[in-house]
Amino acid sequence: MVFLGGQVLPGNVGRAILGPFADQGAVDTLNHTLGVDRPLLTQYWSWISNFVQGDMGTSYIYRSPVAPLVVDALGNSVKLAFVAFVLVIPIGILGGAVAALNLNRPLDRIITLGGLSMTVLPEFVTGIILILIFGVWLRWLPISAAWPHDAGFFRQLYHLILPSMPLFLVLFGYVGRMARSGMIEALDSDYTRTAVLKGLPWRTVIWRHVLRNALLPTITVIATQTGYLIGGLVVIETLFRYQGVGSLIFTAARGKDFPILVSGTLVVGIVYAVATLAADFLYSMLNPRISLGNEQ
Amino acid sequence: MNKNYRILDLIRRNRSPHQNHLIDGLVDGRVSRRDFIRHGSLLGVSLPLLSRISAVAGFGGLPSLARAQGTPGATIRVACGAPTATIDPMTTTDNSGFMLLQQAGEYLCVVGPDLVLQPVLAESWNSNDIGTVWTFKLRKGVKFHSGGEMKADDVVSSIDRLADPASSSNALSVFKGILQKGATRKVDDYTVEFHLDAPNGNFPYMMSSDNYNAIIIPASYKGDYEKSFDGTGPFRIEKYTAKVGASFVRNENYWGLKALPQRTEFTFFNDEQSQILALQGGQVDMMLFVSPLAGIGLLNDPNFNIISAKTSGHNQFHMRCDSDPFKDPRVRRAIALCLDRDKLVAGLLKGRASLGNDSPFAPIFPSTDASVPQRKQDIALAKQLMEAAGAGNGFKVTLTTERYLEIPEYAQLIQNWVKEISIDLDLSLLDQGSYYGDGTFGKSNWLDSVVGITDYAHRGVPNVLLGAPLKSDGTWNAAHFKNKDYDALVSSYIAALDLEAQKATAGKIQNLLLEETPVIFGYFTDLLVPTAKGVTGVQPTPMGQLFLDKASKA
Repeated sequence: MVFLGGQVLPGNVGRAILGPFADQGAVDTLNHTLGVDRPLLTQYWSWISNFVQGDMGTSYIYRSPVAPLVVDALGNSVKLAFVAFVLVIPIGILGGAVAALNLNRPLDRIITLGGLSMTVLPEFVTGIILILIFGVWLRWLPISAAWPHDAGFFRQLYHLILPSMPLFLVLFGYVGRMARSGMIEALDSDYTRTAVLKGLPWRTVIWRHVLRNALLPTITVIATQTGYLIGGLVVIETLFRYQGVGSLIFTAARGKDFPILVSGTLVVGIVYAVATLAADFLYSMLNPRISLGNEQ
Repeated sequence: MNKNYRILDLIRRNRSPHQNHLIDGLVDGRVSRRDFIRHGSLLGVSLPLLSRISAVAGFGGLPSLARAQGTPGATIRVACGAPTATIDPMTTTDNSGFMLLQQAGEYLCVVGPDLVLQPVLAESWNSNDIGTVWTFKLRKGVKFHSGGEMKADDVVSSIDRLADPASSSNALSVFKGILQKGATRKVDDYTVEFHLDAPNGNFPYMMSSDNYNAIIIPASYKGDYEKSFDGTGPFRIEKYTAKVGASFVRNENYWGLKALPQRTEFTFFNDEQSQILALQGGQVDMMLFVSPLAGIGLLNDPNFNIISAKTSGHNQFHMRCDSDPFKDPRVRRAIALCLDRDKLVAGLLKGRASLGNDSPFAPIFPSTDASVPQRKQDIALAKQLMEAAGAGNGFKVTLTTERYLEIPEYAQLIQNWVKEISIDLDLSLLDQGSYYGDGTFGKSNWLDSVVGITDYAHRGVPNVLLGAPLKSDGTWNAAHFKNKDYDALVSSYIAALDLEAQKATAGKIQNLLLEETPVIFGYFTDLLVPTAKGVTGVQPTPMGQLFLDKASKA
């Protein structure tokens, strides 16, 4: 579908590379060299038959194999998603839990309203504001997420802090809200009342009974965001000049670089599937009533 | 000031008839000192000799081109857009791409400030009397980064590769009808002749940085330029990472004065705003260029310097001459008369542009006839013309254009101005890919739209701009303008070697285009290069290349 969809985009590959003012003969020669003047089915067959053998083809724009480009970009996306998750999961769950434990009090209102307000602000708005504050005025953090080629772990982390902050702001509202409603439901349940009445310490009630059950819907939310964090961060990656899968696919779509476009999209699809599967496993681990393969 | 005719006569002895005619023009006052320098450089007269002639003709010499006294050893960090495709001397076409080409590679000559041609890998050049054969003498002792000496074989293979019609060369559109494959011939190891298809008085510009693909690379080059960035320039490649950036280090074996910076770093960004933020955040020292609208915060900030250069870059507002409602030239003229060009330059371009007069002859070209009256806003006359053309009640038409730099805002301004003559312009703003389409008639919004706005980059001479967008057989003729008189005048202009003949023909072309107005040229933009305070010695070309060999940081 992506392959066919790409064909309806205006312009052609040779023209995209050589520009609008290039001689038509030069454009035709380049298209022939790249093989994009062949019938569509031939191109598709050539691509799919190579792909199933592990060959993602050669990029039209960069004239280099696609696989290393996609793998590098995927690695970068995973790093950014990881930092964003490390920030948002504990803080989001903690925020939700604190809000639930202070239900309808000012702290609950602040966390809920603050989280929702941040969620509705687009990343490019919060991103620009954060860049202006931390990158331009205070000069504490680099505005570019791309680190020098010889950067170690901490240097890379330093470059990822600023781009992960708008992601944190967007996701905090989702995660916090789910954790809060899960907590409220769990706190209101019979088993919590039983645990309290049988004399368990409050901390144990929260940790063993409330939080464990309250996290189930939160895990679903987190799992659905994994695909977005790895393949859908075009705006953040563009703003912070980060070489992730999102910007790779976006650049490929603009330049009609089908080998990258199709392979990148496929990889993002696989990431979505794996994240959903991982969420199912985690769900079954946390809730023994749900057992994979058990229809009872 | 006094003229020293004895020395002038001595100088004349070894000059060609065209060079002597130019000297006569300077002495008689028909040619200004500025035009003398620019056109003299085109005819192959060296800058020191031009300076000497100017001095003995009583106009004073050129300022000394002394080496900048900056601190050596700096790392200059530049923000630029990500190249749109692989860096390849044959196919590269975007600003960042050809700027990177020029960091390691060099041209036979470069276009300096004021469009003066300066020799680089060629020491001198001259033509036969009719401008069909141009001979370039090459500099001796120039070494490629890969080790071999640059000789005529390298020049022949570099240029032949670009002129090969069976290749995907981006320079084919420049060489078409001028230079064919095989027409670049080695005379000896240090002399090359170019045998042109037709006389051409501006040919050296095609061997200069103006034709950005024309860097000289070894004859043994087999492709995959990103791996080697082989060239003869003052910097050699250190590392290139597609989509991320590039770094270069000083070439210690450079044939000329060694570069001041030890290292240069180029960081690729996907948009202009991110580059501006990086400069403001101190993470880069300069940008490749900035547009006046996006860079307004930098233009008035004392923490930054703006290097400014006049260019012939512009946006063409074309109107289809072969179909209604623009068939009648009076309607086209009426629209052109609605534009308030002074406000356009002062407001939209923040004063960083020159007025356009509806022809490609920008004020920077020495051949532009400045005596042709400047078109100004005149709504009353525009209304009269519309009435006379039977279009007094106005009409509705769609303006198709691209989302690029200030073009959408330019389109909105025109939309408002033409309301005065009852024209209702609907705006259709497309991304660049959709606008240009396949770039051929029948498959391109650019070439098929009834009315549109298209961006054109700087050119050192108006030849290409006079041909492809306006000649009857022009491949970029979006206005579908067909006029035999115009075609003949352009052929005559291109063939002329003599500045005064060029200027006379230019005047006729300018007047003809004012009468016909197939395209509105509202303004010619300045190139703006922002640098952090303390960065000195940066030398951009009007085309957008960046010479950093004399750059330093405080």
